[in-house]
Amino acid sequence: MTDWRRIDIDAFDPESRLKTEDLLPPYTTQVTLAELQPKITQLRNLSTSGDISAAVQLAMQDPPYSADGATKAAYFQAVLDTLSQVRQADIANIVKQLSLDQEAVLVKYLYKGMSVPEGQRQGGILLAWFEKLTQASGIAPITHYLSDRRTV
Amino acid sequence: MSQSLRPYLNAVRFSLEAALTLSNFSSQEVERHNRPEIEVAHQSAELLLQPMHISRNENEQVLIESSVNSVRVSLMVKQADEIEQILVHKFTRFLEQRAEAFYILRREPIKGYSITFLITNKHTESMKTNKLVDFIIEFMEEVDKEISEMKLFLNARARFVAEAYLGEFVY
Amino acid sequence: MLQLKPYNLLIQKTVSEAVEAAQQGRPLALDRIISDFDYTTFHMYNTAEDQAGTVYLSVRTKAWQSVLQCGGLLEYLQEVYSGCTGVTLLQQPEQGYDLTLALQLTSSPTEDTVLQLSLLKTHIMASPFKLAFKEFDVLKNVPVDPETAQLQQGPASSLFAIQYRDDETIFIKPANDRITVIFDTVFEDETDKIFGKVFLQEFVDARKRNRSIQSAPQVLYSHERPLELGSSNHPNLQGQPSRGYITFVLFPRHFQTQEVQLSSVYQLVLFRNYFHYHIKCAKAYMHSRMRYRVNTFVKVLNRAKVDDDDNDNQPAAESSTGATSTGPTRRTATGRKLVY
Repeated sequence: MTDWRRIDIDAFDPESRLKTEDLLPPYTTQVTLAELQPKITQLRNLSTSGDISAAVQLAMQDPPYSADGATKAAYFQAVLDTLSQVRQADIANIVKQLSLDQEAVLVKYLYKGMSVPEGQRQGGILLAWFEKLTQASGIAPITHYLSDRRTV
Repeated sequence: MSQSLRPYLNAVRFSLEAALTLSNFSSQEVERHNRPEIEVAHQSAELLLQPMHISRNENEQVLIESSVNSVRVSLMVKQADEIEQILVHKFTRFLEQRAEAFYILRREPIKGYSITFLITNKHTESMKTNKLVDFIIEFMEEVDKEISEMKLFLNARARFVAEAYLGEFVY
Repeated sequence: MLQLKPYNLLIQKTVSEAVEAAQQGRPLALDRIISDFDYTTFHMYNTAEDQAGTVYLSVRTKAWQSVLQCGGLLEYLQEVYSGCTGVTLLQQPEQGYDLTLALQLTSSPTEDTVLQLSLLKTHIMASPFKLAFKEFDVLKNVPVDPETAQLQQGPASSLFAIQYRDDETIFIKPANDRITVIFDTVFEDETDKIFGKVFLQEFVDARKRNRSIQSAPQVLYSHERPLELGSSNHPNLQGQPSRGYITFVLFPRHFQTQEVQLSSVYQLVLFRNYFHYHIKCAKAYMHSRMRYRVNTFVKVLNRAKVDDDDNDNQPAAESSTGATSTGPTRRTATGRKLVY
C-alpha cells in the first residue's frame, strides 16, 4: 500500500455520491407495455381519424415516466408519428390549447425525438413544433425540461 | 436564410438562453477546487441537468449539456462529401489551436462532433449572456457559409488552373 | 505567378553574373549548390587557378538513369549545346553528379547560351520526347490495313519511361496518329489526394467546357492502368492500387514544328510541378482565409465582454493613474486583457 494518498476514500462510502438513478422520483407503480397499449391504440386512432389536436392532448397527458426503456420507446414512437402527421399551419393552434404541464411534456418529446435517428430524419417538423412552442411560452418549458428528472 | 435553418437556429438560441443560468460552485470532491462540473460528469449526478439535442437532420446537430456552473455546446457541422470533411476538419482544428483567443472554445471536440464550446460561470460573469448566444448562433451560420465558399473557391481555382495549363497548348 | 518557367532562374542569374564579372576583369569565386524540382541538384563551381576561364555546371537528377536507358541522351545534349559557343560536355562528370558542362567565359557567351544552360534539366527530360517524335514520323508512314484498322507489320512502337521521382514515372508511347503521355502518380498526403482529385477532374473537363482550348491535348484520369502501357513491367506499375494515371493525348498539331515541340515538352515536363504547386497555393489561400475568419469570430466574441466599453473609452486615465493590475482591467504580461 504505497500510494495511500491517492486512494479515493469517498468511493468506499456508498452515500457520498449521487448517481442518476438516485435522483429519480420514487415511483409507486411501474407502467407496463400491456397497460399502456390501449392508450397507444387510442392515440393512433385519433391521429388517423384526423383529430390531431385531441391526439396531442392525449399524448401529453400522463406520459409513462415510470416505465422501462422498451415501453417508453413504443410510446415515443406513437407520439412521434402523431407529431409528424400535423400540417405546419396547424401547429400553432394545437400548441395554444396545451396546458403548462402538457407543454413541459411536449418539450421532452421534442428533445428526445431530436436525439434519436428516427426523429432526426423528421428534424424539420420537430423544429417547427419547437418554434411554435417557444413563440407561445418562451423559454419556460425549456427551463422545466432542464431541471425535471423524470424522463420520457 | 433558408426555411429550415431559421427554426433550427431559433431552437438553439432558446435552448442556450435557458441553459446559460450558471452560478459559482466549488467542487464537492476536491478542497479549494472550482471546476466545470460538466467535465467531471461521472462524479456528481445531482449537479447535471438534462442534455438537449437539437437536430436539423442527421448531419447537422447541436448537443447542449448543462450543469450547475458550466455548459458544453457541441456542434456537428454539415459534411456532404470528402472535400467538405477535410475543410471542416482543417477549419475546426485551426480554430482549436487558437482557443486562447476564443475563451469559450474547448480545445478538443467531444466525440462525434466537429467543435465544442465550454462556457463556465466565469464567462457568463465577464460577458453578456445574450451576446454569447449571439456569437454561437453567428458562428453556426458562418461556418456553413465559409465551408461552402471554400469548396466553391477550390473548384473555381482548379478550373482556372487547368484551363491556363491547357491554354498553353493552343498554337 | 500562374505558370512555372521551364528554366532555372538561379542558374541563369548566377551564370550571367559570372560572365559579367569575368568580362569586367573581376572574376567571381563560385561554389554553389542549386536545387530544382524532383530532387534535382546542380553544382556550379570554378577552380581557383582558372577563375576567369571556365565555369563548371554539374547536374544530378533522378531521371538520369531512366532517360539514359531510353538511349540517345548524350547525343541529344551534344546537339543542343553544339549551338552554344563555349559550352562543352565533359567526358568525365564530377564525382557524385550525372553530367558536367564546362562554359568558357572567355568566349563571351550570349544570352541564349546562358538560357540553354539554365534549361539543362528540361533538356535531359526532353530527350525521350524527341525520340518519340522521331518514332512517330516513322510510324505515321506505315500503311494501315483498311479492314482491321491495324497497323500492317512494321517496327513495334516503343514505350519510353522517365522515372523522375522514386515512385512516379512519365511514360511516352508513340502511335501512328498520336503520342500518348502518361503520368503515373501517387499522393502521399490525404488532403493532397482529395484536392488533387478536384484539380484533375477539372483538367479532364476543361477542354469540353471551354471552346477556346479545344485544340489542347485530351486529358484522361483513371485508376485503371491505361491500355497504352501494354504489358510493360516497369517496377512502378506493380502493386499499389492507390495509383492514378493521367493521360495526355498529343495529336500531330502539338508537335508539328520544332518550336511547337519544344513548347509542348516544356509544359509536359512541368505538369506535375505545376499541378502540385497549385494545390499548395490553394492550401495557402485557405489558410490565410481561415486566419481572417478567426479574427472576425474573435471580434464577434469580444462584443460580448462586459468591460469592453469602459476600457476602450478611457485608456489614458488608466495609464495616468498608474494603476497596478487590479480589478476588471487586469492584463497578462503580453498586454492581453484577462477575461477571468
